[in-house]
Amino acid sequence: MKEEILIEVKGLKKGYKKRKTKEWVQAVNNVSFTVKRGEILGLLGPNGAGKTTTIKMICGLIVPDEGEVVINGITMQKNRLKGLEHISAVLEGNRNLYWRLTARENLEYFAGNRGKSRKEKMGEIEKLLSEFKLKQKENELVSNLSRGMQQKLALAVALLADSDVILLDEPTLGLDIETGYEVRQLLKKISEAGKTIIISTHDMPVVQDLCERTVIINNGKVIADEKVEELMNLFETSAYVLTLGNELTEQQQKELDAKFPINELLDGGKLTITLEQDNDIYDLMDLLKKENTIIEKIDRTTIDFEEVFMNLIQEEKNHAIHSIN
Amino acid sequence: MPFIQLIKANTRMEFIEMKRYLPNTLSMIATVYIIFLGMLLGINVIGDPAQAEANIQHLIVNYIFWYLTLMTLSNIGFTITMEATRGTLEQLYMSPLGMWKILLSRLIGYIALHGVIVIGLLYLSMATANQWLYLKPDITLTILLITLVGIVGVGFMIAGASVIFKQIQAFMQILQFILAALAFVPLSVAPILILAPFVKGVDMIRHVMIQGYSWTDFTAMDYTALIANSLLYLLIGIFFYLKCEKIAMSRGLLGNY
Ligand SMILES: Nc1ncnc2c1ncn2[C@@H]1O[C@H](COP(=O)(O)OP(=O)(O)O)[C@@H](O)[C@H]1O
Ligand SMILES: [Mg+2]
Repeated sequence: MKEEILIEVKGLKKGYKKRKTKEWVQAVNNVSFTVKRGEILGLLGPNGAGKTTTIKMICGLIVPDEGEVVINGITMQKNRLKGLEHISAVLEGNRNLYWRLTARENLEYFAGNRGKSRKEKMGEIEKLLSEFKLKQKENELVSNLSRGMQQKLALAVALLADSDVILLDEPTLGLDIETGYEVRQLLKKISEAGKTIIISTHDMPVVQDLCERTVIINNGKVIADEKVEELMNLFETSAYVLTLGNELTEQQQKELDAKFPINELLDGGKLTITLEQDNDIYDLMDLLKKENTIIEKIDRTTIDFEEVFMNLIQEEKNHAIHSIN
Repeated sequence: MPFIQLIKANTRMEFIEMKRYLPNTLSMIATVYIIFLGMLLGINVIGDPAQAEANIQHLIVNYIFWYLTLMTLSNIGFTITMEATRGTLEQLYMSPLGMWKILLSRLIGYIALHGVIVIGLLYLSMATANQWLYLKPDITLTILLITLVGIVGVGFMIAGASVIFKQIQAFMQILQFILAALAFVPLSVAPILILAPFVKGVDMIRHVMIQGYSWTDFTAMDYTALIANSLLYLLIGIFFYLKCEKIAMSRGLLGNY
């Protein structure tokens, strides 16, 4: 059951001409990945990486220049409406709601737009309202709800569609810590209900808490497609903290930055450093030995996902620089 | 029937807005009524007294049509522009029933609700002017419905243009004048306008309401022209809209990037 591939993203490309400057931006550049039924995929990347464009191509709101998306055997670019029966999305959080309607009216309206009657959906609406703790506020205008409530309502609207796939674009963007946490808990519950979910985000706790797998994109390209756990392990073994007995010379620091760009000298002579290959540790030793730097201690670091992410992005940048040179 | 649910949901939405913002709705109706009074005064002050009665009768029909057309068309353009900036437009495009059907439902709901207001305004203006026109609901409503099909077609064109050019407010104002002219110009003065949207329909309704025409007073040609005009505008409208939708999707214009 878990092995069934539900979403196939194949070689998506999309470029835009910027309205003001008229320059061409390759927002998405040959992105491919698959998602299995029931899986929760984190689509991760810095601002402007192409996450939103990718999500919108998956639900057919943006037509790709090249490539296609197949959902449950339906090619979105050929049969968009049929495909949409399997998808719902929260694209802009609370902005996806009608602020001049009440919470309940929003749910009813969007159900109607998918061809469902109020009667038919009454039970489900009741259930969602109480599950999302919105029951007391069901007759409040959305404009009077808190940011967190609005966000939850947007999720409820997406769930009401009863689709296999839910696409979420930055679901915790702009939320305070508390509401962010609440929304994460809700997402967890939803995920346990067996939905297939793609979450685009640059909020690391979301990925760490919810996603089994992550596709990381940068500059429109996939730079990693791994299980979150494996990605963490991979980096855990390559990140070190060295406690140095004396200061580095300027020359050493320069060489260090050139060779191991992901390094940071902390107070107390602690140097955190990430190595790309296992053999790099010898080069590092050589570099330190040259000036007889004393190494008091070497530790493996425990790193969180945020660092993993930053390292990947940084590595990618260096490769790009290397390949230019 | 999913489409019935679509019409229900969208009509209900228009109704809720109308009711919730009742002061707005009322002041809008008042404004429109004051415009009518102004025109009525104009006819009485500067118009030829011998022609006054006929002029006032024309004014009532033209003005009622002008109101319905203008409200319908500017509403659809305004709605799309607003929903695009608010962020709900993309959610509408996520419906597996298709956006053009949602738009059609919105137009149907809007026209149905404003139809009620229009009937009220019609009686009010007839009472004010003390000019009682022929009402003949059977023929009037039939011609009106067919005419509205054409107006819906033009609505789709405006929707299409709004999806691509989010800022068409200026264009809308010009459109108001053109439309006003269309509703006011009698077909006999400019026969070529039979090709324009809804002019034939308004012309026939004038014949019914002012001259008291019945079903048999029109020729087969009249009915053919009326139906052909409306269907053509509906088809062109939907076709144009779908083309615009395609362009918007390939340029990523549906969101508020
Ligand atoms: N409709 C658009 N028109 C022009 N450029 C766009 C449009 N949408 C996105 N872009 C550009 O494409 C790139 C990727 O954007 P986006 O997909 O929104 O990235 P992300 O969601 O990862 O921040 C950015 O450089 C952005 O400026
Ligand atoms: Mg984005």
